[in-house]
Amino acid sequence: MSEPITVVVAKDLEDLVPTFMKNRGKELETLRAALNAGDVEQLRQLGHRMRGVGTSYGFEKVSVLGKQIEDGAGAGDRAGLAARIVEYSDYLARVKIVYE
Amino acid sequence: MSDFAAAPLAKAEQAAFRVLVVDDDPDMAGFLVRLLLQQGLQAETAADGRSALEKIAAAPPDLVLLDVQMPGPDGFDICRRLKGQEATALLPVVLLTALEDQDSRVRGIEAGADDFLSKPVRREELIARVKTLRRLHETRKELEGRRLAAEVLEKEAIRKAFSRYLSPRLAERVLRDSPRGEDVFRDLSDRAAVVALFADLRGFTRLSETVPVSSIVPMLNEFFTVLTAAVHENEGTVFSMAGDSMLVGFNVPVTQVDAAARAVTTGRAIIQRFGPVAARWQAEHGLSTGIGVGIESGEVVVGNVGAPSFMSYTIIGDPVNVAARLMQRAAPNELLIGPNAALAVNSMLARSAPLERRAVELKGKAEPVEVVSLKIAPAGGRR
Repeated sequence: MSEPITVVVAKDLEDLVPTFMKNRGKELETLRAALNAGDVEQLRQLGHRMRGVGTSYGFEKVSVLGKQIEDGAGAGDRAGLAARIVEYSDYLARVKIVYE
Repeated sequence: MSDFAAAPLAKAEQAAFRVLVVDDDPDMAGFLVRLLLQQGLQAETAADGRSALEKIAAAPPDLVLLDVQMPGPDGFDICRRLKGQEATALLPVVLLTALEDQDSRVRGIEAGADDFLSKPVRREELIARVKTLRRLHETRKELEGRRLAAEVLEKEAIRKAFSRYLSPRLAERVLRDSPRGEDVFRDLSDRAAVVALFADLRGFTRLSETVPVSSIVPMLNEFFTVLTAAVHENEGTVFSMAGDSMLVGFNVPVTQVDAAARAVTTGRAIIQRFGPVAARWQAEHGLSTGIGVGIESGEVVVGNVGAPSFMSYTIIGDPVNVAARLMQRAAPNELLIGPNAALAVNSMLARSAPLERRAVELKGKAEPVEVVSLKIAPAGGRR
């Protein structure tokens, strides 16, 4: 199994994070569906949302991937989008949260 | 697609400052609400523009944190609508935009946004901006409160000034039409058609010689109270009270198409209502009193007359002089109506009985003046 990725999240957000992570899982499924459907506008919107919310909670990688997906959708870079979604899936599988 | 990450409505115990967070991303909305609650503020969320507008209309918050990209009306639309309506124009709006999104910032400024918050949100930035806007909002509220208080005081002062002359009902009407009274007393002098009514107390000179001095002022006050009540009911304007007589005007300062009829009705009411007072005074002091009334209409000068340190709003002119002289000629409990006023209330007088038309000589008039005399029975049966 791959190495876990540790993310430090503020203690006062601890009760919000399970829902946050659940929503990221749903988001990943929606990204895959949008990619299969070729719905670049939805991909752009989802990327935009990821970019805004990720670092706010402490998940910088979510924001970085969000920006790449938003930009990739704008450029119509299907291969790049597919790679970012795989990367997002891998990140979510490996992320380990520490509250401080 | 997502579960809601925070309670939709949450209140901090001691907060009075209410923030509405408008964001279609429940995770972002929940995050912002959490930070606001930690600052002791009240926070509520709306998931789209339409519900945001409904919530603001139902209970305007003190601050709106507004995401730019939303389904339905977007953040720019919402901001533009809020800033375009008088009720919400001063409501601070902070737009949530991406840090590098300069186009959105320009559009936000054009839409009237008060400030911007970058996404991803840094808590220090959010707290600093909310604190600043809260301080500004509270200062603005305080200034608005002071302005309203000053307005109320000014209106009250105007109302008090008006109440020297006008009935409370008429004063309300004047203030409603012209909140500062500027249209009513704008000109220091003006010509106007008015109906003048003079009334005085008959027998008071003898009464004042026999009753204790300490009783005279209360008795005069009782007399004028009866007169003023009747005048106010008919929306007359009291111009002066001197000795035991009173000058009242109708059709001034506001138009009254039935001014002459109001004057006659007032004259009748004055005499009738004074009846019980006169009866009591007679029982207590053994002297007969009554009221003489003179009425005439015509053009007069209306204005503030006097020295800069003491001015009176008054009416001056021939109809006022004629009304004064008719009052002098009137017997106790008699209304003498001058020719111009009588013409204006011809049909009303035709229904009056007993009525007498006669010519009277008045000081300053070369020819006798045709007047109408109405003898009024005071309440209580005396005449």
